[in-house]
Amino acid sequence: MSLEQFKNRNVGVQNYTTLDVGVSPTTNKAKFVQFITRAVKGELFVGLWVTGKAMFKALFQGDMHTVKYPFEKMPISPRYRAIHDMLRLLESGSYRCIGCGLCEKICISNCISMDTRYDENQRKEVSEYTINFGRCIFCGYCAEVCPELAIVHGPRYENASEQRAGFSLFEDMLTPIDKLNLQQEYDGFGAISPNADENIKQTPLAY
Amino acid sequence: MSEVKTVENMVSITIDGTEYKAKEGEYILNAARANDIFVPAICYLTRCSPTLACRICLVEADGKQVYSCNTKVKEGMEVTIDTPNILEERRAIMEVYDVNHPLQCGVCDKSGECELQNYTLELGVDSQSYMIPDTKREVANWSSVLHYDPGLCIVCERCTTVCKDMIGDAAITTTKRGGADLDKAYKETMPKDAYSMWNKLQKSVIAPSNGTDETNCSDCGECVAVCPVGALVSRDFVYQSNAWDLKRVPAVAAHSSDGAQIYYEVKPTSIEDRTEKIFRITNEWSYVSLDGSARFAYDFQNTTATKDKAAFDAAIEAFKKAETVRFNAMITNEEAAMLQTLKEKMGLKLYNLEVRAFQKFLNHYEAASGNALWSTDTDAIMKKSDFVISIGAALRNDSPAMKYAFNNVQKMNKGAGLYFHPVGDTLIPTFGKNVEIFNHKVGLEEAALYLVLDLFADKEKLPSEVKDYIESFKTTETKTIKEKVEKTVKEMVLNEETGEEEEVSKKVKEMVEKEITVSTNGLIDLLGGDASKFDDVFAKMMKKKENFSMMLGEDLYYHDKAENIAKLVALVEATCPINVVMTPPKSNALGVALICELDDAPSGYTVGYNENGDFKLSALGTGDLDMPAMNQQEGTLCNIGKRLLPTNAAVEYNGYELNDLMKVLVGAPELTIDWTATLPKERGFKGIEFDALTNSFDNDGTDNRGYVLETSNVETELPEVEKCDENAVLEGDIAYRCNPARQFNDFTDKSHEIFEAFALYASVEKAESLGDKVEVVFENGSITLDVVADAKMTGDIVKVPDYRAAEGVYDLFGESRYKTVTLRKA
Amino acid sequence: MGETVVDLLPEVTWVGVLIKAVLILAIISALAGFGTFIERKVLAFMQRRLGPMHVGPYGLLQIAADGIKLFTKEDIIPQNANKFIFKIAPVITAATAFIALSAVPVFPDFTIPEFIPVLGGVFVPSIASDLNIGILFVLGMMAAGLYGPLLAGMSQANKWGIIGAARTAVQFLSYEVVTGLSILAPIMLVGSLSFVDFNNYQHDEGVWMMFYQPVAFVLFLIAGFAETNRTPFDLLEHEAEVVSGYATEYSGMRWGMFFIGEYANMITISVIASIVFMGGYNPETMLFGFSIGWLLIMLKIAFFFFLMLWVRASWPHIRPDQLMWLCWKVLMPLALINILITALVVMV
Repeated sequence: MSLEQFKNRNVGVQNYTTLDVGVSPTTNKAKFVQFITRAVKGELFVGLWVTGKAMFKALFQGDMHTVKYPFEKMPISPRYRAIHDMLRLLESGSYRCIGCGLCEKICISNCISMDTRYDENQRKEVSEYTINFGRCIFCGYCAEVCPELAIVHGPRYENASEQRAGFSLFEDMLTPIDKLNLQQEYDGFGAISPNADENIKQTPLAY
Repeated sequence: MSEVKTVENMVSITIDGTEYKAKEGEYILNAARANDIFVPAICYLTRCSPTLACRICLVEADGKQVYSCNTKVKEGMEVTIDTPNILEERRAIMEVYDVNHPLQCGVCDKSGECELQNYTLELGVDSQSYMIPDTKREVANWSSVLHYDPGLCIVCERCTTVCKDMIGDAAITTTKRGGADLDKAYKETMPKDAYSMWNKLQKSVIAPSNGTDETNCSDCGECVAVCPVGALVSRDFVYQSNAWDLKRVPAVAAHSSDGAQIYYEVKPTSIEDRTEKIFRITNEWSYVSLDGSARFAYDFQNTTATKDKAAFDAAIEAFKKAETVRFNAMITNEEAAMLQTLKEKMGLKLYNLEVRAFQKFLNHYEAASGNALWSTDTDAIMKKSDFVISIGAALRNDSPAMKYAFNNVQKMNKGAGLYFHPVGDTLIPTFGKNVEIFNHKVGLEEAALYLVLDLFADKEKLPSEVKDYIESFKTTETKTIKEKVEKTVKEMVLNEETGEEEEVSKKVKEMVEKEITVSTNGLIDLLGGDASKFDDVFAKMMKKKENFSMMLGEDLYYHDKAENIAKLVALVEATCPINVVMTPPKSNALGVALICELDDAPSGYTVGYNENGDFKLSALGTGDLDMPAMNQQEGTLCNIGKRLLPTNAAVEYNGYELNDLMKVLVGAPELTIDWTATLPKERGFKGIEFDALTNSFDNDGTDNRGYVLETSNVETELPEVEKCDENAVLEGDIAYRCNPARQFNDFTDKSHEIFEAFALYASVEKAESLGDKVEVVFENGSITLDVVADAKMTGDIVKVPDYRAAEGVYDLFGESRYKTVTLRKA
Repeated sequence: MGETVVDLLPEVTWVGVLIKAVLILAIISALAGFGTFIERKVLAFMQRRLGPMHVGPYGLLQIAADGIKLFTKEDIIPQNANKFIFKIAPVITAATAFIALSAVPVFPDFTIPEFIPVLGGVFVPSIASDLNIGILFVLGMMAAGLYGPLLAGMSQANKWGIIGAARTAVQFLSYEVVTGLSILAPIMLVGSLSFVDFNNYQHDEGVWMMFYQPVAFVLFLIAGFAETNRTPFDLLEHEAEVVSGYATEYSGMRWGMFFIGEYANMITISVIASIVFMGGYNPETMLFGFSIGWLLIMLKIAFFFFLMLWVRASWPHIRPDQLMWLCWKVLMPLALINILITALVVMV
């Protein structure tokens, strides 16, 4: 909607649907009849029946909805955006991060900061990397923009802390090398779409 | 003085249906750019010769496909930038460039400023039709500052072009890389230009031109600046930062008097240390070329400075006690104005060895010519001049701008050049085949100027005694000589690089005997030239030359007969069609010379500002009170182009400034830059506030930085000049006060990417005879230096650098640049 | 009237009454606390939640935690409050609630075993004070309890408090009428105001009063909810409307006393309903040779208590005008008609 349309829109006419609530009785007789009908109808007992049934189910049929949170946790969606994880390459265990700095650039709360250097193998290496979780708004842009699927959002959402600023270093977020086999591929923001192959053009590489 | 063309001949051309004005003789590409029209081009550099490597600047002119970078505009020319055929060619070319180009844009230091990326997107390359096996290419470090990744290189040859046409070093060139041959089928199927471009690309790679792994060049880094991809990067910057993280601070290169436009690119040092650090220097390389000091000597800031109240009070006391302030050219106009104010209000003497001789020379020149400043600048020389004369400047070391201009004139304007200097330099002859070198004896600079008068002066205008004096050198005789005659033969040759048939003219030489009368010019012999050949050579040099210019160097200011030389220069300007440019010795020497009334000798208690003194103010962090370095302060500088240029603070400074001292001593405005508008109007300053100064270039290269100083022109009579004293030459071991190419002062010395040593520089043979270490004994002292062989030097003169103020080299040399010394092995 | 069991019991001494009073105070207070626990648990279950779980096994020690909290919480008295009345108001609520209980039979009679020194052999009656006007006294005391919220609301210099106080006056006074009239019919049948007589009457008749007087039973229950300020008639301190009504400015143990008073009243109403309408305790009801009358009345009381919670979990509360309409236009006329009919039946 353009601004012009927005200003000229007719606020008075909307597609409201009127709920059928019947007609309020006007005569005393009608009111009396309504009262008697409602009193005898036992609607109140329906309410009691509903809550009673719920209690019975909760107590005796295991239909209890409470999750005892610190001891039990709900499964979360793979798209959930919690504390970041830094993934490794599955085959070699090397960092996926190439130090391109896109996450640092796109971060709208300016909480990512990195230093890079020219390493002994003539490659770009991230020498320092921090995320200030006091500032991070978990928008997911970093994961989305990452060309290597190196920075992703993990499931670790319990990040309350005593101080507002909380810095996490690269190593803190990195998959431990001995847990590489447990590393989960990320399905959330920025992950490869299931039909990615269809969108790729072939390039001649026949030699 | 020559007539300055104020209105150039303009022609009308039509580009994509719209009519534009363009300078006659300009390339279509430049004409389009000047009119704000985009024509894609990768390999072309504005002030260099067309390379024809990329071929995407194809346009259609008057119905024919031409390369816009090497086709000149003609009156009424109709240009179409995009035709379907051209678009197809360009797309094919970009596809070819993308063949096997590593997809590591994420880590590439170009980080999005990549022209390959831009044009690939611009031309909509979304699929690849071509393929060829890749060749392994190893990363190389060419010098202490140059890092080359051939994998990323697209062999556009911009680096080689700028090195040859602008810098003059020609230190890099294309070589074979042994890539696979193209599939012959492509020749039929692909667009013609794309195929020939690919053919060449597939076979070449860039390498040092001297056949080794290391470039032997001035390490200016201009190749890094012009590289459109991430192939050439300064070694210190590799993988350090993305371009987008860096904040650009527009500034002026602080060290040489070029006053080149630069950007300090800053960002916080690291995650732990959030203070801003300069990561690199960039420039508007289309319009300005930097020297090594401008590009790599950037981290000279005073980091340790704090507001030390005790030191401040001591400084106030020192100023009250002092009779002299000693400083150098590394100072802004504003600070110079402050010191001048101190002189006026407190009677302090101003002592500045770097500038005093220059100032005197300027005064003599003004008295003799009526002009406060020289008539042209290096930029104008590059654009117009086709004949340059250099006198008294060690081009390679003193003034990069003059070196680039001298070289560029040879390469771009089909120019010629005369180079007068006592120290032999093997680089100068490589600038062009029409460069004539006079390695004269020390002290004969006057003779050089007389030769210029002889060669160029309108003899009618010359005073008769001068005319007679010049004629007195000339003798005539008859000789029989053998002469080479060249014949031109044309034949068709297959160009290996491009795979095209080309017509090539070959020259065949024949010997013919001839009898001629030869007039011999004694001046030429005096200056060490070959008088018998010079006439022919000079005649060849003078062919089709219209615009002459002369570049004067520091040797002249420190000459014993500087006053006479200044008069001769005025005479040259008055009687010859020659424009003159003088190089201020260092940094802001011009500003200091215009603003300060300098004294000849110090006396009493001395306050040194970046110099020796009883109390030392220092931006190096070594003095008694810290001062901000040039990259930590706002202010203005004057350069060789007679411009006042604004520079800005790139990194933070936490100490006191000179203005704070001024506030206490004599009262001063709030900020240093409040002085900008108060600079003396009678010396050509315009009284414009600092914040109102512009700092940009136009599309056609017009310089809008700061403003040009106003030069007063007073009609004067021709000066009376003295004769040249042929016997006043120095003999024996001669020391020449001259810095290595990238060193200018203590600040360049402090910068971590400048490696040139404080040592005695000598030609290879001389260095061998001197050994490793030598004591240079002057009349008034001596200095012991390591000996470094400079392969580009010839002759016996040795160079003693002066860039460390603490070594007191200026005091040893006194008021001359050459001294007879005793060299003792130490 | 025939001889009752009570007549056969030993003499009631002042020591026994004192012990009984202390017992009522202690146990009912504890029960009030326990009541809060039960309420939270039941409400939770009805919403398929677990309720308090973390303090003690199944959250049982939550009562203790709450108690500690209430006792240690800062006692804030607003600056502009009428301090004396502000301080005394919760005491009135709590005191009237417990005083009402003194005429209600709670727990069976027993004699303290002989081996306990000093108090050994003392007979502790089921009713602290078996007044012959028991019901009248209990209802009267509960009606006097109106002063607690009323004074609290008026003394605290808070607009929500004032509204709460006004609602208190209107609601309690109105429903006192219904309570009184509804229970008048059973009284007419029994011919006594003593709870013991009610118990015995139903025992003798062999039928619970609620079947003789269903209308009175329903009216009494409804009025009882209103008297105890329970949903759907919890207008006095309805959070969504008046923050906390008369209790807005109260904190700590002063607020706690309102709380205890409310729960004590709930127990009182439950006890009255159990005795008057649901057969009371009958010591001669035997199971496997044991007298289970007291156990049964406990269950009956518990049922009524549970009913209050159940209703709270199920029903929305009503508007003040609906409350008044219900009282004066429906319940009171019904109660009068019921009395009229009962009177006719008794006369005939």
